[in-house]
Parts: sequence; C-alpha cells; structure tokens
Amino acid sequence: MKVLACIKRVVDYNVKVRVKADNSGVDLANVKMSINPFCEIAVEEAVRLKEKGVATEIVVVSIGPTTAQEQLRTALALGADRAILVESAEDLTSLAVAKLLKAVVDKEQPQLVILGKQAIDSDNNQTGQMLAALTGFGQGTFASKVEVAGDKVAVTREVDGGAQTVSLSLPAIITTDLRLNEPRYASLPNIMKAKKKPLEVLTPDALGVSTASTNKTLKVEAPAARSAGIKVKSVAELVEKLKNEAKVL
Amino acid sequence: MNFEMTAEELAVIDSAEQVAREVIQPLAQHYDETETFCLASIRALGDLGCMGINLPEEYGGLGIGSLAMSRVVEAVAGACASTASAMTAHFLATDSILLGGTEEQKQEWLPRAASGELLAAFALTEPAAGSNPADMRSRAVREEGGWRVRGSKHYITNAKEADFIVLYVKTDPDAGHKGISAFIVPRGTTGISFSSPEKTMGLRGSTIYELSLDCWLPESALLGVEGQGFNTAMAVLDRGRVEVAAMSLGIANAALQASLSWVRERQIGPKPLAAYQGTQWRLADMYAQLESARMLTMKAAARRDSGERFSLDSATAKLVAAECAGFITDAALQLHGGYGYSRDLPLERYVRDARILRIFEGTSEVQKIIISRALLDAAK
Repeated sequence: MKVLACIKRVVDYNVKVRVKADNSGVDLANVKMSINPFCEIAVEEAVRLKEKGVATEIVVVSIGPTTAQEQLRTALALGADRAILVESAEDLTSLAVAKLLKAVVDKEQPQLVILGKQAIDSDNNQTGQMLAALTGFGQGTFASKVEVAGDKVAVTREVDGGAQTVSLSLPAIITTDLRLNEPRYASLPNIMKAKKKPLEVLTPDALGVSTASTNKTLKVEAPAARSAGIKVKSVAELVEKLKNEAKVL
Repeated sequence: MNFEMTAEELAVIDSAEQVAREVIQPLAQHYDETETFCLASIRALGDLGCMGINLPEEYGGLGIGSLAMSRVVEAVAGACASTASAMTAHFLATDSILLGGTEEQKQEWLPRAASGELLAAFALTEPAAGSNPADMRSRAVREEGGWRVRGSKHYITNAKEADFIVLYVKTDPDAGHKGISAFIVPRGTTGISFSSPEKTMGLRGSTIYELSLDCWLPESALLGVEGQGFNTAMAVLDRGRVEVAAMSLGIANAALQASLSWVRERQIGPKPLAAYQGTQWRLADMYAQLESARMLTMKAAARRDSGERFSLDSATAKLVAAECAGFITDAALQLHGGYGYSRDLPLERYVRDARILRIFEGTSEVQKIIISRALLDAAK
C-alpha cells in the first residue's frame, strides 16, 4: 500500500514569532523553520505503518518555496522513501493547497493520505477536509488511532467529549491529532542518507492547477499585551469582581 | 578559510540540538546530583547515531566535517557537560584507532563504536604522568605470543563502563616518548581492576577511575606499530582540543543564555537587572569573549579538516575557549546572585563543570607551551 504524507514548512514551534513592522505578515528573516508538528505526526504514522508491513511505500509531499526541500529531506530522514515538492513562492490558500494535493493524489494513486489536522502558522484546519471533498475519499479527521485491515481503515477521532471511531474504505484521507503518536528524532546517519533519496520538483502549472487566490490578507497583528493581574483582599471581593467586572458569573 | 556547511550537516546539527534540548538536558541535574554515569544520555546519543560523528563513513562514521562535529559537541555540552565529556572521551579512543590502528583494527572496532554498540575509553594519564606522557611508568613486556602489561592509569573517563580501552604504555622504557605504544584492551580482560569513581568537583555524571593493570594481551592488541603511541596520542589530542573548545562554548553559551533570561525577569528596586549599565557591560563582555572563542574554534575545526598541521590552532582555541568558559560561567553565577549559588539552578553546575576545561587534555599552561613553541619555531 502506498501512503502519501503531506507536510508544511512553518516557523519552528520554539520560535517567538514577530510581526513585521508594516503588519503585512510574520517576519521570516533568519527564523528557524521546521516541519509543522501535526505533519510530523503524519510522517511518523506513515513510517509506523511501513514498519508494521502495512505500507510498502511512503511518498512525502510539500507545497511551498524551494527551501521546503529542507523539510522534505527531514521527512526522508525520518523514513519516507521519496519526496515531491510542488514549488510555489506564493502564500497559498487552503483550497489552492488542496487542489494541488488532489493533482498529486491523481498522479500517485495512494491508498492512504495522511495530513496534519492544521498548521501552526495559519491554524486553518481545512486542507484535509477540502482534499477529501475534491477526491471523494472518506475522511477521518483528528485521528488519535489508525488501524488498517484489508481495504478498510478504522480511525479513532478526537471529538468534543470523547472519541469516535469511524471505518473508512480505502483510499482514504486521515488528519492527525496530537495523541496519535510521538514522532521519533531523525537519526544522524539517516539524515546523511536522505540526500541520496529521490526528490522530485513539480510546479502548479505542470500539474495543471490554478492557485489564484480569492482571499487577501489585510493585516497581521501581534496579540494584545496582557495587563497585569490584581490582588483581592477577600473572597467576597473576588466574587464581586468576577460578577460585575469580568462578568463571568 | 571556509566555514560553510552542507545542508545535511546543518540538519545533523538541528537534530542533535533537539535531542540535547529534549532528552539530555532534562537528565543533567539528576546525573550531577547522584554522581552516576550518564547512561541514558549516552544511549540516546547512540540511538541518534552521534557516537561516530568524528569518523569517516568508511568506518561507520557520519562523514561530516569538524565544523559540524564541533557544533554537535557544543549542543551536547550545553545540555549536559558530563555527557559531552563521556562522548568526547569515546572519540579520543576511536580517533586513536583511526589514526594509529591497522586496517583490520579499524574494521573490527570503529563501526561498532560509531553505531553506539560499543563505548570506548582513552587511558593515557598516570599518577606521575599528566602533562608529560613521556613520564609514564606503565609497561608492556613481550611474553611469548603477546604482551604482559603492568602499571596504573588514573582519571580515566568511561574506564569501567567502556567495552574497550585504548591504553598507552611504555614498550621501551629507554626510548623516551618513542618507547610508547598503544593497545586495545577489551572489556573483561583478566587482570584489570578499577577504583571507585573518583570524587570530582564537576562533570559528576561522567565517571572517572583509576586502573590497576597486571594483564596479558595478545599480539593483535598492539595498536598499529610499536613505538608509535606517542605520535598517535599527540595527534589525537590535537583533534580532541577542538572538541574541548566546543564543549567550552556549549557550557559558556548555556550560562549566557540563562543570564539573558534572568536579567530581564529579576527586579532590583524599580527596574529589572537588565536595565542597569553594570549588567549590560557584563553581558557584552561575556558575549564578546564567547564569540572570540567561537571564531578560534571554527578556525581550528576548519584547519583540522584541511590536512595541514593544526596544533597551534587547536591549542589556541582550547586555551581561549576554556578560559572564556571559566569567565562566563562565573559572571553568569554572579548575575544570578544567591540564586546562582543555589543548586536549584544550573549556574553553579556550569561553574564546576567548566573548571576542568582548563585542566584536561592539556592544561592552559601546556597550551601556552605548545603555542609559544610553534611561534618560536616559525620565527627561526
């Protein structure tokens, strides 16, 4: 079974992001970039499926600038067999990304597509669902457990108030939640070997996909600074403030 | 001079920094307080494939340049200096085999050492032979079919935990340093006894031992050629000094980073500590020294790969980096005041761990001898 794992290049989760002075976006100059943590979980799940003998080939795909090759190499070091970069320097919407992934799915014909549930930069939580709609595949979003048996996959989903298990016919789309697995570290010898694994570079044009955007980012701002807390003298005063000032009671 | 690294080397550094931060650093205080060998950290480095970063690919190593190698050592030392010490002691042993061993010995020992399957130790120092190895008294005498080795070694990192020890002894006591040879001694060799771990000021998670030797070794245990031990050891130490310089940078940078967080949070009167000029000047001095030492370390690392002689570069880097680590860790503790003196924070550990850097693999004074000798030779 072929598995397609999708990854996004984002600002590393340890970095404190800064907004550009002109509010046009986040400053990316000299900032450490990494695989989106949810996407890393997707790659790890694909690698585990291969280690279990369920998957036979893992193709990792990313859509982004030339530099996204770094993240693809990391995914290859983690255990993917080959990589595809759909190169685009544009700031793409979730729909454009889903259309490009649909084209890659058509080309590669995977049985399982695993994506992160959302990226920690734009926090949209849309691409997996849109890809399911475009391909017509069943979707198991926010997965905390994945079990493939025959031509079905059982996906346990993290939903409000508990867990829901769905059974999907293959091919299917899965988006990962945090509890699905704990990704391994890329071993140093595997990082060195990853440079010998194939990495194909495609363009949206070559895939016949228009990425024209219907969205426009107007302004990016830092969250408002938190004001300092206050000390109250008694429980009565606390309750009074919660009721009348905070209006939460 | 070229300081550029490949994309793979940068990714290697990135992965090592992640493991150092997430796996090794959280264990550092435990190993320091319990004075036990940093086993889990060394295993994590083995799993990562980090125990062969000093070796070429043909012997199972990673095949990265010394610049990238030194950055990995820096990352490990910044997380846990004891772990970095145990790791670099392993490198001294495997470097000994790489530089002085026969092809057969390299094939037999290096791939398994590089993969983390085998841990190694390097035994050169003796109670009466520290700065000058030629004063060593341990001897190997030919006995039929092999060698009888008698003597003692001390301050040997990893000795008891190691799967093999590269041991330096005299095979010809009348030939001065040309009478020194090295042997590979596997674990379990009869006739070697170990002291309890020595009680030390710092690097308490990296255990060191005294060895008593009265053992028989086969001919095949002789590393390379008889009488070449001194040359091998000196070449190994030239390489090792780049690693000690990198360790110094790691500890010093950890102390500086801790200070930068601290001075912004700690209020003295109405202002944070960072708002006082005395603090600012101290931070600037710390940074300037660290970056000076870093440039020297990078230069020595680049020269190490160039194939040219680099004793002068590695001695200079080791001297300056070790001294700067002493200054920076002390300044960082001072900025933290009483909190720095408390064992709840790692500042006092940084000071204790950094102290040995001016002593082992050649004291600062020995580095000055090497430097001035090279300068005077060049001026002849």
